[in-house]
Amino acid sequence: MKNSVETTNILGAQLSRRGFVKAGGALFVGFTLLDSKNAQGAVAKNSLDPSQFQSWVEIHADNTVILHTGKCDFGQSSLYTAYRQIIADELEIPFESITAVIGGDTDRTPDGGGTFDLLGRGVMPLRKAAAYTREAMLELAAQRFGVAKDKLTIKAGVISGGGKTVTYGELVKDQNLKLSIPVAGDLTTMFGLTVEGDPPLKPVSKYEVIGKSYRNSVIPAKVTAKEKWVTDVKLSGMWHARIVHPATLGSKLITAGQVDKTKFPNAQVVVKGNLLGVVAPTEWEAIQASRQVAAATKWSEWKGLPGQPNLFRYFRQDADWKSTSVSRSQKSGGDAASAVASAKKKHSATYEMPFMKHAPIGPTMALADYKADGTVTVHTHNQNPQALRGQLALMLGVPVDQVIVRLYSGPGHYGRSNGGNAGAEDEAVLLSKELGRPVRVQWMRGEDFQWSTQSPAGYSDVQIGLDANNKISAYTIDHYMPAMQDDRPVGAILAGLPTMPAPTPGGQRLANTVNGNSDPWVYDGVLNLEERAHGTYEVGQRESPLGVGLRDHSMRTPGQFQQNFPREVALSEAAALAGADPIQFRLDHTKDERLTNILQRLRAESGWQTRSAPNPKASTTGNAPVRGQGVSVMFRSGSYWACAAQIAVTPASGAIAVEKITMVVDPGVVVNPLQLKRQVEGGSMMGTSIALYEQVEFDESGVTTKDWRSYPILKMADMPEIKVVIVNRPEVGVYGQGSEAANALAAPAIAAAFFDATGKPARNLPLRPDYVKTLLKA
Amino acid sequence: MTITVNGQKRDVQSSADTPLLYVLRNELDVMSPQFGCGLAQCGACSVLVDGKEVRSCVTPVSSATGKEVTTIEGLPARWAKQKGLSGADAEKTLHPVQQAWIEEQTPLCGYCQSGMMIKATELLEKTAKPSDSEIKAAFTTSGPSAHLCRCGSYYAIVEAVRLASTIMAGGAK
Ligand code: FES
Ligand code: FES
Repeated sequence: MKNSVETTNILGAQLSRRGFVKAGGALFVGFTLLDSKNAQGAVAKNSLDPSQFQSWVEIHADNTVILHTGKCDFGQSSLYTAYRQIIADELEIPFESITAVIGGDTDRTPDGGGTFDLLGRGVMPLRKAAAYTREAMLELAAQRFGVAKDKLTIKAGVISGGGKTVTYGELVKDQNLKLSIPVAGDLTTMFGLTVEGDPPLKPVSKYEVIGKSYRNSVIPAKVTAKEKWVTDVKLSGMWHARIVHPATLGSKLITAGQVDKTKFPNAQVVVKGNLLGVVAPTEWEAIQASRQVAAATKWSEWKGLPGQPNLFRYFRQDADWKSTSVSRSQKSGGDAASAVASAKKKHSATYEMPFMKHAPIGPTMALADYKADGTVTVHTHNQNPQALRGQLALMLGVPVDQVIVRLYSGPGHYGRSNGGNAGAEDEAVLLSKELGRPVRVQWMRGEDFQWSTQSPAGYSDVQIGLDANNKISAYTIDHYMPAMQDDRPVGAILAGLPTMPAPTPGGQRLANTVNGNSDPWVYDGVLNLEERAHGTYEVGQRESPLGVGLRDHSMRTPGQFQQNFPREVALSEAAALAGADPIQFRLDHTKDERLTNILQRLRAESGWQTRSAPNPKASTTGNAPVRGQGVSVMFRSGSYWACAAQIAVTPASGAIAVEKITMVVDPGVVVNPLQLKRQVEGGSMMGTSIALYEQVEFDESGVTTKDWRSYPILKMADMPEIKVVIVNRPEVGVYGQGSEAANALAAPAIAAAFFDATGKPARNLPLRPDYVKTLLKA
Repeated sequence: MTITVNGQKRDVQSSADTPLLYVLRNELDVMSPQFGCGLAQCGACSVLVDGKEVRSCVTPVSSATGKEVTTIEGLPARWAKQKGLSGADAEKTLHPVQQAWIEEQTPLCGYCQSGMMIKATELLEKTAKPSDSEIKAAFTTSGPSAHLCRCGSYYAIVEAVRLASTIMAGGAK
C-alpha cells in the first residue's frame, strides 16, 4: 500500500486518494468543517472524523450506493422515495442503484437537523454532497482517460469520453478515496449542518428520476412484520419501566409510594427529584406495580391553569401580551386602520382555535443503555436525533460525544419531536443510569395525552373593510398565540436537571415567546394590510412550581394553521358581505399566477357552484341535511394549495358530515406523484378530524383528556370522499413541499361551508354537535 | 400454558392474567401487534383468535389457550393453507391483504397497519366482496372500537381492501 495522499480540488471540495486497497474499494464522502465560529462548535462537541462513517454518499465497487442523512422517516416516505430520486438524479445514477438510506442514527449520519422541510432545507446538504460527488467522479474519469472533464458525459452511472467508458464502480474499485466537502453549522441544534459552496446542480429539464411514482421501499417490510420498530428493540438485561407522573402540572413529590412486594416481588421504585419511575424485569409487572405505587404516592396540590372553558377569557384579560415584541408581517403596508374606519361595509370578528394534540397512535417510547464508562446509547423514534443528543448531554453534564442516538421506525409524531424529544427519551436515560442496566420506557395512553406537548391554542381579531365596489379596501388581523416551541425534556425538568431554557420574551431562538407571521400573504390586490402576531408565555408555565404548564410544540403547520384558519374563514365571510362567490372573490384580489391557476382548477375539479354564500337553501332547523361548500387556500414552503369542502349539516342533531374534500396542490416540481397523493389524502383526513372533533380538555390542574374517547379523532366511516389534483410546474424550479399543509386546509374550508349551509358563521373549532347547535340558535 | 400462534404450539411462562400482547411481543418474539392504547380503543394490537379480531392489549393470555392466534407474521401461511398451496408456492406468496397493502402503498407511518390488516383479513374471510360501506363499517363499528389511523390512511385502506378482495377471487393484482 502506498502511503502518499494525492489531493485534487473540486469546486472547493477536496478529493484525496489514500493509496490503494486490496479488495472492494469505495468512495466515502465526508466533510471538512469551515473555519467559522459555529463550525468550530460542532467540532468541539462532536469530534467527528470525516474519514470515518460520517459519510453522506458511499459509492461501492459493485455500483451500489448508500445514502446517509440525519433526517428520519415518520411515514412521509421522503427518505425512501423522494430523497433517493433527488440524489439519483443529482448523481446521474439509476434509482435502483441506491440500495439503502440510513437515516437518523447519530453515529452513522452526518448532518442532523430536524425532520421538517424535507425537500427544501432538509435534502439540500445531501443533494449538494451528491453534486460534489458527481463532479469528483468526472474528475477521476478525466484523469483516467486523459480527457478534459468538460468533454465527458454521464448516463446511469457510466461516464463516457474519448471513446472510452467507465462505471462509477470501476472508478472506485481498489481505491481508498475520500472527498471532503465544506460544511458549516452546529450539528446538535434544531437545524444541524449545512453543506457550503455551490457545486453545479442538475437542471430541472434534465431530470429523469424525479417525477416518477417510485414505491416506498420500506413498506414491504412493514407489511410483512420484518421491519424492526423502535418498540421491537430488546437488549440483554433490559428492564421495563413506567413513569408515575405528578398528580398535576405543578405538583411536587411529597412521598413516593412503596412497591407491595407480596404482589410485585421484582419491581423497584426509582426517585430523582419529582421524577418517579417503577421498573421491573417484565412489562406487565412494571405496569401493574406502577399503578399500585401511583395510588400510594402523595403529591402536593396545585391549581394554576384557567381551565379550558375559561381559556379565551384568560387570553383576553389575564395573559401578558405586552412583554413580547409584536411581529408585523412583511407584506403589511398602507394605512389599514383608517381605510377600515372609512369602509362602506365592514366585517369584524374573532376566531378561536383550541389546544390540539399531535396524538401519535403509539405513545412515546425509548430504550436507554447507560454504561459504566459514562456513555449512553438511546434507541428511539424521534424527528431530530442530533438535537436529542445535545439535550441528553446537557442533562447529564457530559460531552455530546458520550451520547449516541439510534433511530427506528415508529408512530408518526407530526412535529412533536422535531426539536429533539417526544417524551420518554430522557426518562429512559435517567432510569438506566440509576439502575446500571438497559431500561425501556413506554408511556401509557393517558400520559401521552397529559404529559406531552400540544399544538398551542390561539385567537385572532379580524377587521375587513369593503369599498363601494365590494372589493377589500383594508384587512387588519391580530394573531394571539402562546409560545409555540418548548423543547425542554420533561423528565429532566422533573428530575431537576439542566435543560434548555423555557420560552421567555427575550429568550434565545426557539426558546422565546415571539409569535412570527408564518403565512405569506397571497392577496396582493389588498393594498392596505396590517397583520400582526402577538406572543406570550405558555399557559401555566410561570405559575407551575415545576415550570411545566401546557407545553407547546409545533404540529404539522405550526403557527400557520392558527393564522391561516382565521384569515381564510374571514375572507369567505367578507365575500358573502360583498355578495361575491368566494373563489371569484379570491381571484379578484390576487395577481399571483400560480394562485390564480389552482383556484381555477379547484373550481373546475370540485363541482363548485359559482354563487355567493349562503346557499339559497340554507336552514338552521330541521332533520333534513342542508348542504354547503367552502374554500380555503394556503402558500407554504414554495407550494400553493387550494381546498374545497362540501358538507352536509343536520340542524336538529348538530351533526356535520364532510362529504367531499378536493385538494389542488402546485408544489412546483413534483418529485413523486403517487407518494404526494397519499400524503395529501392523509393530511386531508387529519384536517377534517381537527375541524370536527379535536380539542384538548384541561381543568385548573392539568390536562384531563386521557384517551381516544376524550380525544376523538376521525374514524373511517366518517371520512370524506377525497379528490387530489396535483399540478406539476417544473418551470418553477424548486420542489415545493410541505404535504403537511394538506392538514391545515380542511378546517377553514369546512367552516366556510358551514356558513354556506346554514347562514351562520362558524368561527371557533372544533365543530362538535353541541357547538353547532349553539351556533344555529344564535 | 400452551397457546397456538401462527400454527405453532408455544409454551408460555407469563402469568395467566398477562395481556396476550405482552406475551406475544416480549415472551414469544411475535412483534407485529403494537401497543397503542391498552384500552381496546384503537386496534393497533389486533390479532385473530380463531378467525375473530380481538384486542390483544386487554385479552388475558389464559383466554387464548386452546385457540388459534394469528398475527400478520402468520398471514402468508394462513393463505397458503386456505388455498392448498404447496411448499415452494407457499414460501413465496404473501397473503392477498399484504399484497394489496404494498400495491396500494397504504401505510404512512404504518404503526396502525398490522391491526388494519388483521381487520381486513377477518372481513374478507367472512365477506369476499364487501361494498365500500361494509368496509367502512368493519373498520368503524364491528369491533370493540373503531380502528384508528392518525396518519389518515383510511382512503388507501379502502382501496387496498377492494384490491385484496379481487386478488382473493383470483383476479390480477
Ligand atoms: S392497543 Fe389494543 S386497542 Fe389500542
Ligand atoms: S399509518 Fe400512521 S397511524 Fe396509521
